[in-house]
Amino acid sequence: MARTTFPVEVLTPEGEVFNEEIEMLSTRTSVGSIGILANHAPLLAQLEPTELRLYRSEAEIVRFAQAEGYLQFAENRALLLVEEAIAPDALDRQTLTTRLDEARSAAERAPEGSEERARALRDAKRYEAFLSVAA
Amino acid sequence: MASQRDVKNRIASVKNIQKITRAMEMVAAARLRRAEQRISKLRPYAEAIRRMTYQAAQAAGAEASSFPLLREHDEVKNVGLLLITGDRGLAGAFNSQIIRAGMRAGAEMGDEGLEPAWYATGRRGVSSLTFRGRELSGSYTGFADKPSYADARGIADDLMSAYVDGKLDRVDILYNAYVSPLTQHVTRETLLPLSAPVLEGASAMGGPDDGSAREQSDGPAPLVEYEPGPEDLLQRLVPDYVEISIYRALIESTAGFFGAQMTAMRNASENAGTLIEEYTLQMNRARQAEITQEIMEVVAGAEGLT
Repeated sequence: MARTTFPVEVLTPEGEVFNEEIEMLSTRTSVGSIGILANHAPLLAQLEPTELRLYRSEAEIVRFAQAEGYLQFAENRALLLVEEAIAPDALDRQTLTTRLDEARSAAERAPEGSEERARALRDAKRYEAFLSVAA
Repeated sequence: MASQRDVKNRIASVKNIQKITRAMEMVAAARLRRAEQRISKLRPYAEAIRRMTYQAAQAAGAEASSFPLLREHDEVKNVGLLLITGDRGLAGAFNSQIIRAGMRAGAEMGDEGLEPAWYATGRRGVSSLTFRGRELSGSYTGFADKPSYADARGIADDLMSAYVDGKLDRVDILYNAYVSPLTQHVTRETLLPLSAPVLEGASAMGGPDDGSAREQSDGPAPLVEYEPGPEDLLQRLVPDYVEISIYRALIESTAGFFGAQMTAMRNASENAGTLIEEYTLQMNRARQAEITQEIMEVVAGAEGLT
């Protein structure tokens, strides 16, 4: 059964990657996974790196590997601002694995509690999420 | 009057200059197109971040002012001035108008008893400020042609930590906003502290989606869910907002630079064309005068014989 659709816009600093009417979107906020249907209550959320799924219909799903960002839902429109949104087939497992290792070792080298360490850990988390999407 | 040979040499050298300016114009035009695309793609994102930060800051209300980057310092004394310039010249007034605006701002601050701290990106800005004897608290060069997000993040980190540590009480940024290849608009914005008017103030350079965005933010504010709470959201949003604002200023400036360079080089090529025409005319006149002179000599000589 077809659900009501609502417009979704996905923006990155490099431009718009998606702007269509969809039935459901699924992503992850810093508090947990979230699925959004049309007429959701207004929301402002911080997004974690994960797989972003945009359901055109039950069977037709557009996927992206999504970095950190923000989600705003207001007046039945969803706006996602993410630092990166990459189509799964554009991801390269090998480079991601090396980057993940680099980020992990950088995190170990950086002093405890420093901003550098926090950033490296964030990078590592992102590459982990991207790798799971690439699988 | 210059001899024929002199004028000929001059024409040849002007022609060479014209070739160079033409080539530079084309290169600038190609790069301008790319920079223009980048800025037009970034603007909607930057505007959306601004709106979200505003929304979260409003929701956090009084709590927001306890957050170091949003707290206004009681006494404003040291003001950071970040000037965004290009790495190279040959772009008309592009760099000098930023330097001039910066100097004026610095002088005004001095009158008000404020202490400006200079920050500059781009070799032109760094060298002019050093030449004028200003001590730079931070200089960033080598990426003016193609700034990356990491460059902006580095600058933002320096400024934000100086603000949080109390070394700076306010941070202003001066850059050339890209309007069209012919016009760049010198823009001054206050980055820190983030005050409501700054966040609210729609920038004059609003992105194409500005209209629809306005509609969204109008009307009574509905009850909004925040995940996590607005205060935690702000912890991340504000640094992101500062970073993206600097990144945007860098990209605006890059696009503006290539626009200015293209225009300057086009004018130079046109001037060279006019010069060549003038010199050609001069050369033809000189040749004609010489021929006339010779004929007169021949005639006079013939007359002398009879």
